[in-house]
Amino acid sequence: MSPIYLYTIFTCLPKSITMLRRIIAIAQKEFIHLRNDWWMPAFMLFGGVLELLLVGWATSRPITNLPIMVWDQDQSAASREIVTTLINTDTFVIEDYVSDMDTIEDALDRGDINVAVIIPPDYSEKIADPSGQPTLPIILNGAESIPALAALRAIEGVTRDLGERITLQRLGMSPDEFESFIPSLRVWFNEALNEALYTTPAELGLMLEFTVLLFASLSLSREKELGTLEQLLVMPFSSLEIIIGKAIPVIIIGFVDFVLMLSMVNIAFDVPIRGSLLLLLILAFGYLLVELGKGMVISVISRTQHQAFLLVMLVGMVDFMFTGYAAPVEGMPKAAQFFANIVPAHHWLEIVRGILLKGAGLDVLWPHVLALAILGTIIGTFSLRYVRRALD
Amino acid sequence: MNEQAPAITARGLTKKFGDFTAVNQVDFDVHRGEIFGFLGPNGSGKTTTIRMTLGLLQPTEGSVSVLGMSVHKETEKIRPRVGYMSQRFSLYNDLTVLQNLNFYGAAYGLKNSLLEERIQDALVMAGLEGREQTKTKDLSGGWRQRLALSAAILHRPDVLFLDEPTAGVDPISRRAFWDLLYILVAEKITVFVTTHYMDEAEHCHRLAFIQRGKIIAYGSPAEIKRDMMKGQVLEIAPSDAARTVKILRDTHQTGKLPLEEVELYGSLVHVVSPDVEKTKAGITAALSEEKITIDQMEIIEPSLEDVFIACMRE
Repeated sequence: MSPIYLYTIFTCLPKSITMLRRIIAIAQKEFIHLRNDWWMPAFMLFGGVLELLLVGWATSRPITNLPIMVWDQDQSAASREIVTTLINTDTFVIEDYVSDMDTIEDALDRGDINVAVIIPPDYSEKIADPSGQPTLPIILNGAESIPALAALRAIEGVTRDLGERITLQRLGMSPDEFESFIPSLRVWFNEALNEALYTTPAELGLMLEFTVLLFASLSLSREKELGTLEQLLVMPFSSLEIIIGKAIPVIIIGFVDFVLMLSMVNIAFDVPIRGSLLLLLILAFGYLLVELGKGMVISVISRTQHQAFLLVMLVGMVDFMFTGYAAPVEGMPKAAQFFANIVPAHHWLEIVRGILLKGAGLDVLWPHVLALAILGTIIGTFSLRYVRRALD
Repeated sequence: MNEQAPAITARGLTKKFGDFTAVNQVDFDVHRGEIFGFLGPNGSGKTTTIRMTLGLLQPTEGSVSVLGMSVHKETEKIRPRVGYMSQRFSLYNDLTVLQNLNFYGAAYGLKNSLLEERIQDALVMAGLEGREQTKTKDLSGGWRQRLALSAAILHRPDVLFLDEPTAGVDPISRRAFWDLLYILVAEKITVFVTTHYMDEAEHCHRLAFIQRGKIIAYGSPAEIKRDMMKGQVLEIAPSDAARTVKILRDTHQTGKLPLEEVELYGSLVHVVSPDVEKTKAGITAALSEEKITIDQMEIIEPSLEDVFIACMRE
């Protein structure tokens, strides 16, 4: 989404064929480096795919089999029933029955269990008593917040049903006579609330950013570290020719990487492509140019590949925080929300999710596309100027 | 473009890095078709000067032109007509000999039969025929250096810049390298070379000696020896060279003999004096007093090393 690149390529090409030849010479040389340094393109092409495979695989199923510890001080039909109901949700699996608090504390400390249920001695008594107020202490391991939330959801469901049944009993009504409040919830776009449908498109977008950023950041810093950049600058290459020549392999490999990752999530994790594939590919290409610009700036700032790598990690981490993937942008403080809007990756993830899951088109996504175009133009222009100045 | 213009002209060339002046008001001219040596110890400003001359660094003050064109304003016109080689960084190590040469060729717009012909020449010159497919990193220092030189002149530049081209290369390879430079000069290529090897200075047509950012000697080796040397050099082969140096320095300090320099050269001692004939007798007397015999004593042509040591003392 960076017209400046396209503009410059377009207006300069007819100027001379020699320029094109020189660009090809650099691109060719870059490809030879890649062939010799085989793990680099292998990492660029398949690292993302592998990462997505792992993320998708780990998150594609709902959370089940959380280890639970039970201290049943009541040993009644009612206490056994509540434990069975919890187990029947499939969310939990019994780790052990214990008879003291120390064992539970110890197991929680060690992280052996996510949940502990402590049934008081008078549990069944209080349920049977028409004016009794039964309680059920449950301890969740909040250090692992995602399993804890899943556990909480399951427990709330079970206890709500139980509460309803007790109320009906005490009112002397049968369940058939009673209709409680049932919200009509419907989940759109990801009907089964499948975690993989949320994580993989986001990871797909992020991996494209990371791949392009890293690859581009090494392009110039590598030659600086080896000392060959001076030779390149003394040759009759213009800074623009060097930039374009070095960008070509990044663009090709980044784009192929994206197509590979997209096919993989589509085939392996049933991530749908509900919108226009062509639109997605065009926008992916544009987004790739934005990250390319950022990577080139990092490359020209860094004196060594090591420095470039660390800077990519830093930039990538900041971007990641503001994409809305880790925490929704809507819940962030105002200043952070503003910042999120100037992070290209944020708009890019909205576009990926919009096209893949919602089948959205330009009519809906245009604010993000426009934002990306504006940010891209600014970043692209700045990068090109900055890198050219540094090289001249 | 002026074909009669000197190869390189520098006037008042100055580079400051903050408070530090790396190159201070440097003037020099390099004539067409000569080997011009730019000498100096490490950190004296050699590399900074060559970088400014190549347009890689902006001078703080002053100007430099190559082939009559301003380096700052007409960089693009100059680039195709100059070549550059530094011993360590000119070639891509993971590329083969042929791939490196092809890249140089493409960079300078050589193609088809001309490119093939030049590459063949380069391989012959570097002595690498039949080793086209060898990775550059697998070549030894001397081969790599000759390949770098062949690559740098693939496009037949008018001016060739060599930055420490022989650093870390064995003496035989260095000799062979200089032989190649003479061949280039015979083909009307101007060579600008930086080095810190004193013996290489003698091979240059003209040279500049730079120290702490300033040129302290400038001209042909003969001119420099004539102008910079205060007196003649007497070479003595005594029975105990180390003691001889000590004794003669003492006589200098007490004012008995007018000696400018007393330097140890292995088992020999070099003495610089404005009036050698007069000091000869004094030296013989002073040494025989200390029971040192003199095997040989003669007036010799000063080496550039003698001159530069004298210059640096001042």
